[in-house]
Amino acid sequence: MTLVEDPDSLFLRSAQNALRSTDGDEALRALGWRDLLGSLEEDPDARLGVLAYFQAQGRELGSSGALGELMAHPYAGLFGEDRAVTATVGRRSARRGNRAIVVGTPGSNGILIDRPGHGISLVSLDTLELRPIGFSDGLALHEIESDLTDLPISLGEAQAVALRERSVQLGRLAIAYEILGAAETALAGAVQHARDRTQFGQPIGHFQAVRHLLASARVDAAAIEALAHLSAGQYPALPPMRDAILKALAGRNGRRICERSLQVLGAMGFTAEHEHHRSHSRVLVLDALLGTSSSLAHHIAVTLRESAGVVPDLNLSVAALRAN
Amino acid sequence: MSMSSLGPPAPAEDAAHADITSFAAAFEAWLLSRPAGVVGASFPQPTTGARMETMRRLMSDLFAEGWGRWGWPEAFGGLGGTILHRAVMWEGLARHGVGGMAAFEHLEVLGPTLLAMGPPEFCAQAFPGFLDGTETWAQGFSEPDAGSDLAALRTRATLDGDVYRISGRKIWTSWARFARWSLVLARTDTVESRHRGVTAFIVDLRSPGVEIRSIAQANGHDELAEVTFDDVVVPGDRLIGSLNGGWAVAMHILSSERGTFAWFRQCFLLQHLQRMLQWGTPEADGLLGDAVLDLASVGALSIDALRVHEHGATLGPRAAFTKLVLCAAEQGLFNWALASDADVIIDPVDERGLDLRAAYLFSRIVTVYGGSQQMQLDTVAKQILQLPA
Ligand SMILES: Cc1cc2nc3c(=O)[nH]c(=O)nc-3n(C[C@H](O)[C@H](O)[C@H](O)COP(=O)(O)OP(=O)(O)OC[C@H]3O[C@@H](n4cnc5c(N)ncnc54)[C@H](O)[C@@H]3O)c2cc1C
Repeated sequence: MTLVEDPDSLFLRSAQNALRSTDGDEALRALGWRDLLGSLEEDPDARLGVLAYFQAQGRELGSSGALGELMAHPYAGLFGEDRAVTATVGRRSARRGNRAIVVGTPGSNGILIDRPGHGISLVSLDTLELRPIGFSDGLALHEIESDLTDLPISLGEAQAVALRERSVQLGRLAIAYEILGAAETALAGAVQHARDRTQFGQPIGHFQAVRHLLASARVDAAAIEALAHLSAGQYPALPPMRDAILKALAGRNGRRICERSLQVLGAMGFTAEHEHHRSHSRVLVLDALLGTSSSLAHHIAVTLRESAGVVPDLNLSVAALRAN
Repeated sequence: MSMSSLGPPAPAEDAAHADITSFAAAFEAWLLSRPAGVVGASFPQPTTGARMETMRRLMSDLFAEGWGRWGWPEAFGGLGGTILHRAVMWEGLARHGVGGMAAFEHLEVLGPTLLAMGPPEFCAQAFPGFLDGTETWAQGFSEPDAGSDLAALRTRATLDGDVYRISGRKIWTSWARFARWSLVLARTDTVESRHRGVTAFIVDLRSPGVEIRSIAQANGHDELAEVTFDDVVVPGDRLIGSLNGGWAVAMHILSSERGTFAWFRQCFLLQHLQRMLQWGTPEADGLLGDAVLDLASVGALSIDALRVHEHGATLGPRAAFTKLVLCAAEQGLFNWALASDADVIIDPVDERGLDLRAAYLFSRIVTVYGGSQQMQLDTVAKQILQLPA
């Protein structure tokens, strides 16, 4: 399955193995993922493990509540530790404005609902009305239908701002990894198909046009991977807008990888029976959470332009070199 | 130009600068004192020759102060340290307005290979002249009939007693007109032996029989040149790598040219971005956003490349990733620049406009040099995806 010629990290491989034999939430327990989450800030290896899970979830098209738990992590301890807390994941709907999404199978845990401008509310999930959404990729998603305007505020906006930034950074990092994983699976399928499918008396992988489609896709994956690893290493000291840049890159490149893979698969790739559409939809669904690639790229451009003269240190280069 | 009157920053030779953090801080302090050489190199220059002269002056200052010696072994005129020192130095220069490296690009393209595979005594003598800007180098690979198919090269080297005699024609040799030395790939076996019969020589471009004709480019510059060799005598020990081992030398160079070099180039792309932001228009925001994603990608990929080279390894086929993403970033950046300020093509008005036009036009050809986009994609398909040929 893997296309990365570098050996994958041990954790990534174990996570993939776990996801092949059990569901996501069980895999998280088996992997000791929550312990790693506990030392996310201070231990770079733990951080890489926490994030590698998402790459594995993308590759295996698994489903879990990991994203919400990760995004709740910056708020840990603020509300008492007596129950598991997860966070909703934001999305902007053109028709209905900001939406709060529960990722993974909803349980009875407490859920943090972030309402920028107002603060954070902690409520019991079972008090809310949920509506299943999503698309053919196996990831359980529910949108909160209840009216959120009168929710009691558990953490005021002043305190929420800095923590929210962390939460969103982590969420975008994780989604980038999951998009990478799903796109890798789509590409692996297409590469295999290019070896197997014969036309004009030879495997289509002999044709340069086909080879170049696949190679371009591989380059797009390498770019996501490099920026994701760099960012995971640098967190929490990310350069300005890095989370937005990474998420936008993952969304843009992830979609391109899937499109090129689909082209190589031919009509077969457009069927419900073929598994391509599952990874492709996973990428599309993830691109819609925490800012689409086009909205983020637009935001990045406007911010840069309006700060003309002082370009934020995009790569925070020297520091990046010094890190590890 | 001297820092002596300013006191505080540690002098460049300070051994503490083996530590990259200490080096970066001290170099930044020096840059903040606005040294004349740095200021001089931050204005667009009207001609290729003027560009080269300002860069020679800057390199001479950097060498005299010591900054330009960090990252190179002591035996070759350096002060020790790693490629990270060079990465930090050029990044700082770019951030403080220097617009490009001119012929000193070859410090990063050819330099590491010269020192790793070249004759040590010769390099110990010649390399300091490269570092201080007096005697630069060129890369003689391409020929009229050997572009992408480099292994088809025909320039021939024949052993005659204890010297080689080289005859043939190289083309597109960047910066040859200003260079003292050229690395020349020449055939030392039959043409049919292809890449197995090629040797890398060091040729003194002042030798009798060398003729250099500059090529006027479509962007108004003329750093490219055609170099002919007519029975040029080269001492028998001026080989890089072994006899018929030139292909390995070329691959080593290309790992830098396609890999780590991207770090150095993206520093200048970010500098261009900074200069051009004030001209950005809302209509072009989509292009700007895209360019930023590719710039960030090339930054991340090339940091990996630097780390690999820092540990004495090379990237191998993975350098194609860096090269391809660098091309996308450079073209994307200038797509945005042109969309924001279409005047630069039809009415550039001033030096800034002319400089931007030249850079825009250059960005259209970056997918050709150093191995074309198609060749890089071929490499990824064959060596990384391992699709059967
Ligand atoms: C700005 C610049 C600086 C340069 N500096 C140097 C230098 O310092 N030293 C040096 O030695 N050379 C230099 N070069 C030359 C460069 O290395 C060559 O241009 C390059 O190798 C391509 O060769 P070519 O131009 O002959 O194009 P060709 O090889 O003739 O290619 C023409 C087109 O055909 C495509 N093509 C060729 N073969 C295939 C194939 N098998 N499959 C698919 N497509 C193919 C190519 O991708 C390209 O698009 C420079 C070039 C440029 C533009």
